[in-house]
Amino acid sequence: MSTTSFLDQKIVLDHGTGARLSRELVEFVVDVLGDVYTGEMEDSAMLPVPAGNIALTTDSFVVDPPIFGNGDIGKIAVCGTVNDLAVVGAKPEYLTLAMILETGLPLSVLHQVLESVRDTAKEAGVKIVAGDTKVVGVGEADKIFLNTTGVGVFHRAPLRMSSVRPGDRIILSGPIGNHTVHLLSVREGLGFESNVLSDCAPLNGMIGELDAVVASGAVHSMRDVTRGGLSAVLHEYSSAVGRIMAIEEEALPIDFATRMASDMLGINPINAANEGCLALFVAPEAVDEVLATLHAHPYGRQAVVIGEVTDRAEKGVEMTGADGRVNTIEELQGAELPRLC
Amino acid sequence: MAKVAVLTNDLQYDLVHKNQERIDAVTEATPAFSGFLNEMRKRGHHIIHLQLINLPDDPNAERYEGRLPSQKGTQGAEIMPVFLDESDILIEKNKDSGFYETDLHERLQALGVDTVLVTGMQGQICVQTTAADAFFRGYNIYIPSDCVVSAQEADKVRALDWLEGYCATVVDSAEILRLLDTEGHLPRKIVKTP
Repeated sequence: MSTTSFLDQKIVLDHGTGARLSRELVEFVVDVLGDVYTGEMEDSAMLPVPAGNIALTTDSFVVDPPIFGNGDIGKIAVCGTVNDLAVVGAKPEYLTLAMILETGLPLSVLHQVLESVRDTAKEAGVKIVAGDTKVVGVGEADKIFLNTTGVGVFHRAPLRMSSVRPGDRIILSGPIGNHTVHLLSVREGLGFESNVLSDCAPLNGMIGELDAVVASGAVHSMRDVTRGGLSAVLHEYSSAVGRIMAIEEEALPIDFATRMASDMLGINPINAANEGCLALFVAPEAVDEVLATLHAHPYGRQAVVIGEVTDRAEKGVEMTGADGRVNTIEELQGAELPRLC
Repeated sequence: MAKVAVLTNDLQYDLVHKNQERIDAVTEATPAFSGFLNEMRKRGHHIIHLQLINLPDDPNAERYEGRLPSQKGTQGAEIMPVFLDESDILIEKNKDSGFYETDLHERLQALGVDTVLVTGMQGQICVQTTAADAFFRGYNIYIPSDCVVSAQEADKVRALDWLEGYCATVVDSAEILRLLDTEGHLPRKIVKTP
């Protein structure tokens, strides 16, 4: 089958009916994914089971628009699941890839998304071991939705929220708010889209660099800061460990253009979704080593300590402003902004 | 002489006539606004109208009770004559910022413009976003405060505060004319990014 002949076409319902067009679409997908795809066209992937425990996670992706600056829905679909595996201490190994395609989607767009899946999976060192494609009518989905399920292998004890201790320092691995500002700017043409790019990235490589300090037990827990933003992560940890999380507003890594856009849009970057940022809860004596390791990695150059876990046995998040006043950060009741991942 | 262009936003029938608040705000601003455009034309500066054309397949374009306003070729999309002169330049845009997927930057560069005066409706949307886009492209930005319109005064005040705080010099149109006549140029605001 010629790839170029496909790229001029659009998805039609028969691409999902299981007949010849379906088979050709699957061949196209497999062709683009190349050696990242290891499926054998059986009804299930058959994989070796490692000794010990595995991590298993699943996520669906509906980002609007599906293609944006420094990423697309394919890159997010790999990063989101890989990062969820890596932050609990597992080594990501396998992904499944399920696609729901709207009739009329240009095959050229699907091609670009699949290339991103392939390239990001290569960077993350994971294989696509199974997949599925469904086609729906116009208006029954929006262009392309993806789901990835991931399997990771534990080579050490898992990292859990319950391991976090009072006195732990809270580190952010990179700036917050960029992904959200970029997408909103692309949607509305706000003028920030070329200056603020999505931070979408697979973080398992950077987390792997922390192996030695993680193995020592000094990194107590990690979480990728995605939907709900930093605020949601801190509230989740506060609820899990029953301690007040305290952060410094001036320490938050927020790029100038992102702050500018956030002020214009009336959004708070601490509530904004990200796709390439980690929050780490680290014993005080290991902070310098963790920061040095993060700074040496391309995705962690702006890593910074933003606060600490207090010894106050209450639930909540406090932020000290530039004027020294302490404000309570309320947990959002619902999603502030839809379809960011 | 300074190479200056005035950029207007969305001074179009459909958009101005969306509601009475907009009509009132534009009506109030019109004498000073149109007078300023005339003064700038007399001084040989460029007037560029950024004309919002909504695309039927844009899911994010605002509908007015189900109707898509300001579509290409309709009377509602036309620039209101009180702001328009035959020497002016029209550039179509499809989003809030006048730079988004348009050739505005290339046109300004070809004209040798280094300073843009961002005006029009509404202050908290198109004026802010076009100014932000101009800032990132290295233009010196001025906002003639009496040539910025918002349906709600509070939105305009907040937008002007934001513009002054981040990227632009905000003064009234008389001060801009005075600076141009006495200094020959508009001094660039020094913006310090952290």
